[in-house]
Amino acid sequence: MAYPRIIARLDIKAPNLIKGVHLEGLRKLGDPRPFVERYYAEAVDEIVYIDSVASLYERNTITDLVEATARHVFVPMTVGGGVRSVEDARQLLRAGADKVAVNTAALKNPELIDGISRGFGSQCMVLSIQAKRNGNDWEAYMDFGREHSGRSVIDWAREGAGRGAGEILLTSVDRDGTEQGFDLELIRAVTDAVGIPVIASGGFGKPDDAVQALRDGGASACAIAKALHYNKVSIRQVKDRLRDAGIATRTPVPA
Amino acid sequence: MNDDTPTTNENEAPLEAKYGLPREVKFCTRCVISNQRPNSTAEFRHTKDSKKETIHFDAEGVCDACRFVEEKAAIDWDARKAELVELCNRYRRTDGRYDCIVPGSGGKDSFYASHVLRYEFGMNPLTVTWAPHIYTEWGWRNFERWIHSGFDNYLMTPNGRAHRILTRAAVENLLHPFQPFIIGQKSIAAKMSVLFDIPLVFYGENEAEYGNPLKDNKTALRADKFHTAENSLDGISLGGVSGRELVGAYGLSEADLQPYMPAQPEALQRVGTAVHYLGYYLKWHPQGCYYYARDHGGFEPSPERTPGTYSKYNSIDDRIDDFHYYTTFIKFGIGRATYDAAQEVRSGDIERDEAVALVKRYDGEFPTRFADEIFAYLSLPPEEFPEASRHFSEPIMTRETFDALVDTFRSPHLWRQTENGWQLRHTVFDGD
Repeated sequence: MAYPRIIARLDIKAPNLIKGVHLEGLRKLGDPRPFVERYYAEAVDEIVYIDSVASLYERNTITDLVEATARHVFVPMTVGGGVRSVEDARQLLRAGADKVAVNTAALKNPELIDGISRGFGSQCMVLSIQAKRNGNDWEAYMDFGREHSGRSVIDWAREGAGRGAGEILLTSVDRDGTEQGFDLELIRAVTDAVGIPVIASGGFGKPDDAVQALRDGGASACAIAKALHYNKVSIRQVKDRLRDAGIATRTPVPA
Repeated sequence: MNDDTPTTNENEAPLEAKYGLPREVKFCTRCVISNQRPNSTAEFRHTKDSKKETIHFDAEGVCDACRFVEEKAAIDWDARKAELVELCNRYRRTDGRYDCIVPGSGGKDSFYASHVLRYEFGMNPLTVTWAPHIYTEWGWRNFERWIHSGFDNYLMTPNGRAHRILTRAAVENLLHPFQPFIIGQKSIAAKMSVLFDIPLVFYGENEAEYGNPLKDNKTALRADKFHTAENSLDGISLGGVSGRELVGAYGLSEADLQPYMPAQPEALQRVGTAVHYLGYYLKWHPQGCYYYARDHGGFEPSPERTPGTYSKYNSIDDRIDDFHYYTTFIKFGIGRATYDAAQEVRSGDIERDEAVALVKRYDGEFPTRFADEIFAYLSLPPEEFPEASRHFSEPIMTRETFDALVDTFRSPHLWRQTENGWQLRHTVFDGD
């Protein structure tokens, strides 16, 4: 069995690391590179970069950052935001990404999932889903939580997995930036629906939230953004808590 | 080229500029606002023939709102905060009575204003609200969160029949569906000040942060013109119609118009009403207010971007608001994305090239999401409104009648009709 992973998620609006609340009110936090270096030094398991405005502005701005990161950060790197074609995916992979995450373009053209999966392997194809609660269901959103797709998250996750997505990056718009804990019902609903790994994202506030997402939610990984960027928690604290809860992680924490 | 002699492609006569707008269209070189932006003004005298004063651009092509950003950076905010403490000390009451009024909707700005005044400056604010035309669900939830964060509130909801008639008149005569709300919102606090004998009133940021004349920003006090005027039927216009005519010919009574009447100057003098801008004392940052309201009250943004723009956090409580900004796009060529992006550029949240891209993508989008409801709201069926409906050739508003009406408000110096429909002659993204 694969070890559960702790992932640092960095939303990017070039040239800055940014962070919002409910994917809104995007605040600039500065050059992302020192942040990534810190997380790497703290033995983060993976990095996720999301170009937060690429879909919005229909432009990609993140390639330089991916190249720079790939030179000295040697953990898997997922890059998303504005991937509209197999060719876009190829460029990010060539720049040093290990996986690409696709949201808006996949909702508009689901066959893009098949294309990327066939072209580079399903392990490369991360389906990013921005989920917002709607009654007893969740709706998948586009354009960084700004645009309805009308698709149910559960159906969409199933379809995405069926088309060859190797992993789902599941972001709760309701919890993003709030530090109030993950939407466990959402995570559970998706992990029950698909057989592929699910990354819980949106809402991490304290180490115990990671325990809940992994143990109770059935997630394979936890993405943390705000709490790391604002230095409210360290990777070590999260992994220590996981260890105490009997959840082993892969990357050793440096002494 | 000077302002009076624009040339057209065809070298014909100068194109007509409606509303007293500048004939030559310019865009601020720092943000994305255009020189067509009218200043906020007193709405009591707004008629079809009113001429707008517009935002000032200097010789470098920079708008007053961007110049104010420079001034803001040089302000000693600690000193201003001390002034606020001093002001609060002067007005603070310890006998259990309210000591200041904070008007608002429960949006991020009024949430922030009332909350800091209460919890940081130890005041006992009474919050007062002039209801939106039609609340959005999330706007209503935020309003309730505001109250639940620790405030008494008086919610003034104007008579829906009268409000619909006035709103329809404002659309028909001025293409200004938001006017009845603006009138109420700008004077309610002063009137409540008189009613409850609470002299100190706080509004949020100064209109000058968005381009009203720079000199207006030198004072903490709000000009009386916004909330007080001669209080008589002949002295005011609502929806571009005189108070006298509304009572005589629209089936409205004087009582129906009372909520829209400005505060009486003598009454304000008696109470000693002083309307202050909190933005004079505390550095205002709309995004910061969003974070503050979220962290202290669970404020929620709208569940989707507002039509015509990208944002989810500002001005989200009234369903008619989408149409307000659609009509500013028609009249001035300035849609919601332009207003939002210009503000965020000035606040340092986004860059100008992003702003331009956002304007290009979203400005002027027709707001379909609440359109049916708004058209029903704007309709005055003759059987329900026998007198008022007579003043409108099409009492029932439909998309077709609305579009036809809108076209009569397009200023020739801004718009051209093409085979693909109406197009702006000048945009910030075409580099003019």
